[in-house]
Amino acid sequence: MKPVVTGVGFITPIGNDRASVELSLREGRHGIERVEFLGNPDLPVKVAGTVKGFQVESPRWRDWTWPSGVDIPKDVIRGLAPHGVYAICAVEQALAQAGLKASELAGDPSTGLYCASAGSAMLLHHNVAQMRAARGARGNPLGVVSSIAGTLNFNLGAHYGITGSVCGFVSACASSSHALGYAIDDLRLGRLSRAIVIGAEELNADSLLPFAHMRALSGRADPRIASCPFDVRRDGFVGAGGAVALVIEAPSAAARRGARPLAEASGWGQAADGYSIAASHPEGAGLRLAMERALADAGLGPGDIDYVSAHATSTPIGDAAEALAIARLFGSRGLRPLVGATKGLTGHSLSVSGVMQAGFCVLSFSGGFMPGNPHLGVAAKECEGLELPRDTVARAPARILSNSSGFGGSNVCHVFAAPGQFTG
Amino acid sequence: MSPVPDPALPIPALAGFPPEVREAFQRYRTQGDTKAAEEVVLAAAVDYRPASAGSAPAVTDETRLLEDLGYDSVAVAELAFFLEDVFDMTISNEDVLAVRTIADLRGCVMRKLAGKTGAA
Repeated sequence: MKPVVTGVGFITPIGNDRASVELSLREGRHGIERVEFLGNPDLPVKVAGTVKGFQVESPRWRDWTWPSGVDIPKDVIRGLAPHGVYAICAVEQALAQAGLKASELAGDPSTGLYCASAGSAMLLHHNVAQMRAARGARGNPLGVVSSIAGTLNFNLGAHYGITGSVCGFVSACASSSHALGYAIDDLRLGRLSRAIVIGAEELNADSLLPFAHMRALSGRADPRIASCPFDVRRDGFVGAGGAVALVIEAPSAAARRGARPLAEASGWGQAADGYSIAASHPEGAGLRLAMERALADAGLGPGDIDYVSAHATSTPIGDAAEALAIARLFGSRGLRPLVGATKGLTGHSLSVSGVMQAGFCVLSFSGGFMPGNPHLGVAAKECEGLELPRDTVARAPARILSNSSGFGGSNVCHVFAAPGQFTG
Repeated sequence: MSPVPDPALPIPALAGFPPEVREAFQRYRTQGDTKAAEEVVLAAAVDYRPASAGSAPAVTDETRLLEDLGYDSVAVAELAFFLEDVFDMTISNEDVLAVRTIADLRGCVMRKLAGKTGAA
């Protein structure tokens, strides 16, 4: 049995609904803007993939606003971090597309929730500072559940009344790919018939600047080229925020409801680099093994893949490692699937990354296109043998391989198949 | 004795409350108007009531937080923290356990405010 995707929801720098995200992907429109953090124009972080239509910069929930039409009761929002607001908006879209009411999830022991986020550094800092100012005498009772990694599962699990399983994943930028993978496994093992998978991150000084101190961010000020995966000029990633939610179901459960499968989660694999706390293995050894395992799990070979949705974040080391891993897996067999890195448009929203790419794959299947690499000027030498179209290719892929890599050498790879091409 | 607060300072914790509640708090801060402080306590008790508990009954002195307003233990902790933060006071677990009704809550806060200013 292979689970199917029946709903997707997007709150991303390139759009807050499926139609605008698809348009951005088709036309190569980025969602990166000039930003200034902490009132310091001298910081080497000039641009970011911003989320539009929300005001969640304040540590106080009473100051927050979000797009109209999404009902978040006051006693729910009090426990949320800013990225939890994004998450609920994304889940509502995904449920609507899947034809599910929130009330159908509540108390259903066959529905699970799989979450990925790094937590809220901003709220953690604010709450701890407030506690210290009172010399430990008092603090926000919801400080823990609103700020630590796990805030998404605590809040969304309670809000939606999820009873099948509620869990969270923290493997940095591979987190939501892990969340999706383990959700797929629980469906395949027959433990559940439906899962909500969600990745969300906020974008603010506290979430992003620590990556500048690792010297992982682009220092460029031009939003049109700052994020340029696989390019010789790439100098680090561009931070981003947002949330993407998926509804996945056992095919029989989807059929019973009359829900239309948008894609099949054909297989997944993971492997680790065993190499560095932060840097990728120079030849992408773990990622290559993860891709091979995903293909094996799907019962497919490299020749069955039309498009690779690359993790490539525009860092010098990470992109080179991924390019070499892809080239070795496909190029050594004389294969040249198209390779696209959508972070050129979105920036890198960390934990959201894997599930965002999964959502983009669903759009590629339904819309019949494959996103290109619109900020690519001159491809780096490690990309030799890779087919890196600059513009979006107006052709429907049958099967996509989607990569994620996170700190500590976590690599997760998923294979998705278009309707009519299912492997299960 | 607490220093006299600057009435011009914003009150972040009260952002989002109706203007009359913020004005009541200012009257308490600047003039020591205890009736105004009571208005803030009542507004907070209504505000922190879980929405999932359904529509609120008319609130009187005898209205009970748990049974009538649908408060749970988390919402009680939030209300206590809010009042501690706004009025710069400490509400102990024993204090919280002794509060059953709106009148109990108001009495608890007002006794502490009176103790703070040395007026009682």
